Amino acid sequence: MTNESFENVILELRRGMIVLAVLSQLNSEQYGYSLINSLKEHGLEIDQGTLYPLLRRLESQELLQSNWRIEADRPRRYYVLSDEGRTLLPRLRKEWTGIVSMMNKLLKEGA
Amino acid sequence: MSTNLIDSYVSEVGRRLPRKTHTDIEAEIRSTLQDMLEERSQKTGNPINDEMILEVLKEYGAPEKVAATYQGERYLIGPRLYPIFMLVLRIVLMVTGVLAAIGLGIAVSQTLGHYSAETIIKAIANFATSIMTALGNIVFIFAILEWALFRAGVKIDVKGMPKVKEWDPRSLTKVSSPNQVKMGETIMEIVGCFAAIVIFNFYPQIIGFTPSLNGALLNGNWSSVTLVPLLSEAFFYYVPFLTMVWISTIILNIVLLRMGRWTTISRVFAIGLKVINIIIAAAMLAGPSLIAVTNLSLASAFGNADGVRILMTMITQGVIVALWLAIVAGSIDIIRIIYRTIEGSK
Repeated sequence: MTNESFENVILELRRGMIVLAVLSQLNSEQYGYSLINSLKEHGLEIDQGTLYPLLRRLESQELLQSNWRIEADRPRRYYVLSDEGRTLLPRLRKEWTGIVSMMNKLLKEGA
Repeated sequence: MSTNLIDSYVSEVGRRLPRKTHTDIEAEIRSTLQDMLEERSQKTGNPINDEMILEVLKEYGAPEKVAATYQGERYLIGPRLYPIFMLVLRIVLMVTGVLAAIGLGIAVSQTLGHYSAETIIKAIANFATSIMTALGNIVFIFAILEWALFRAGVKIDVKGMPKVKEWDPRSLTKVSSPNQVKMGETIMEIVGCFAAIVIFNFYPQIIGFTPSLNGALLNGNWSSVTLVPLLSEAFFYYVPFLTMVWISTIILNIVLLRMGRWTTISRVFAIGLKVINIIIAAAMLAGPSLIAVTNLSLASAFGNADGVRILMTMITQGVIVALWLAIVAGSIDIIRIIYRTIEGSK
């Protein structure tokens, strides 16, 4: 497998995971840049170009809600899980655990 | 701190974004840039300076790239229309190919004895023009459809496909006979419309008389064969409108072929097309003559004054009758479609 193909597969894997990662961090309010840093601290690097459009999409899907607040003399947009997002998160977490254990089994057998 | 650079950057991103959302997105980008600068300033212990701003902007990315991330994937012809587009394209290319071959045959037959490379080159050039124009028209129509679907706010899920209701196989039995699409009739209409598009747009020269053809057949003097065009410029004024109706009819028929049954929307669309057809026919009746030939041009071609008078009357009256027939047939079709809609909804 070439490096390019490897990168593409990794990108595909990450794409599905990022939504859950973002939702998992929004139990309490966060603005975009603080969310980037909080994910980074957990080892997940995500750039602004991916995060902000994703936040808007999740908001349009009514999984998140946002509001502008003036802080230190300038506006910041805070995001938090909506009621629908809060209902969905445990189900997604359970689904994710199932995927991980299934994948582990598959990879063990394939090794 | 030089905020000019940040202002320019934010406005560069903003002008590439949809009007509805750009103010909000601009404010968010500005806020993030300020967060990034503050963090950098705290880390280095230096106040925010131009160099730092340049560094942050570079990290954030080129404005067009940033704007593109908010737009999602945009298509001239998207995945939902692409299969229908390809189907139309295949039919168009096939019909255009057949008609081009007929055109070449006519061109060759009209120059029998003077068969030359020029004829073939002209026919090939005509063929290439036909293909390109047909392709352009189809892409144009589908691009408008794509844009209309996008504007209509057809919901797109994460994978970029439209949201559809769960398909129930039992719906198959619910199709009643008035709603079923007649395959043969539909395909004939598609082929007829394509033929009309190609002939009236690309081969209008084949619609006319060759009065001296008989003489040429008898005496072998082919250079005397001349073509008297039948249709006037007034007729060709209507061709773009007719072409739009024909293309729309083709798209409607292809959609019907794919769906296999009539729906209220497709029937409303069909009625709309019939109404436009009637309006065009009425405008043709009321407008200037659609016939290019005159007593004089026919007389110089045929030479027989009585014959010319009779022929002119036949042509003029024939066009009027044909237009009235189109109006009456269109009206009957509209009534039939409405009747079937009522029957189909029972």
